[in-house]
Amino acid sequence: MTTNHHNPSSFGPESAEETLRIVASLPAPQGLEYRIHAALGSAPRRARVLPWPTALKPQSNWMRTAAAAAIVFVVAGGGWGVYRRVEQNRPAKVIVLPPRIGASGGFSAAGAVRTPQTISGPAAPQVSQVRDGKKPTAKAGAKAAQKSSVTSQVAGRK
Amino acid sequence: MSTSQAIYAGWMEIPNSAVEEQARRRAEDVALAALVDRYAAALYRVAYSVLRNPADAEDAVQETFLRVVRHRDTLNEVRDHRVWLIRIVWNIVLDRKRRAKTRPETDDVAELARVLPSTGLSAEELAAAAQHHAHVLACVEKLPQKEREVLTLSAFEELSSVEIAEVLGITESSVRSRLFRARNLIAGLLDHARSSK
Repeated sequence: MTTNHHNPSSFGPESAEETLRIVASLPAPQGLEYRIHAALGSAPRRARVLPWPTALKPQSNWMRTAAAAAIVFVVAGGGWGVYRRVEQNRPAKVIVLPPRIGASGGFSAAGAVRTPQTISGPAAPQVSQVRDGKKPTAKAGAKAAQKSSVTSQVAGRK
Repeated sequence: MSTSQAIYAGWMEIPNSAVEEQARRRAEDVALAALVDRYAAALYRVAYSVLRNPADAEDAVQETFLRVVRHRDTLNEVRDHRVWLIRIVWNIVLDRKRRAKTRPETDDVAELARVLPSTGLSAEELAAAAQHHAHVLACVEKLPQKEREVLTLSAFEELSSVEIAEVLGITESSVRSRLFRARNLIAGLLDHARSSK
């Protein structure tokens, strides 16, 4: 290494490179490697995956059969449990349904009855008297009506 | 207990693959320890040249090896461990420097005087040298990032321009051109500083 690094009068790119070279060649602190080893030793290790024992390898046939049986057991047991729960005599829940809405769309007439306006009908003549206990015939009725109209005409003239 | 095919531990059989895995892990540990012993100092110097703080530089070296542990599976695929490690520590220190955004500690003249070699120098000479180096380093800090990086790495005698190119992920011709520009710029900065005095 050149030794002009302590000559402040030397200016130029060489001087800059010399300074950088001095900085780059500074010794590492004592025990650096030891501290790094310690840090690596205390660093968390990556998880190891333990292999399956041979007898319990997932690829073996009887293991597959056992797994299938376990699945069947769980499914059947679950179904049976549900069945048992449903079978118990529990009082049925009564759900009150709201009254059905009719074709009127929920509106009612509130008891109102429509009465059509009609012309008053012809008044039937009243039989004034029944003579001799005889029932008045149609002829007699017509005569009486004629007589009453004549009487009313006379009264009108008067 | 042990056979040529596999090892039986109690009721559980440990297959050959697990034994091989253990042996492989042990070999990786040995290789990693060798890497630490061989390159820790060089990595520290690279880290220090950027961060200029001993504690930060040591932290960066530790982080580098922790990253190596994390990617230990790829350790065998690495062609040049030295350049590979320098590249890792380089990225770590640049990231740290970017985050910290503080001036390097060694710009402090007193700190420089403490860390610089002082063989054969009087206290006065040492103080003057420290002041000079602090000024030069301040000028280096003013360089554009690309030029500064190349200039800093070129100060490591053990790194060739090809290796610098590999660390920075650029071509060798780019390294040369950046180094040329960096030298011109630093000369201009130092001249300007001298004329202004």
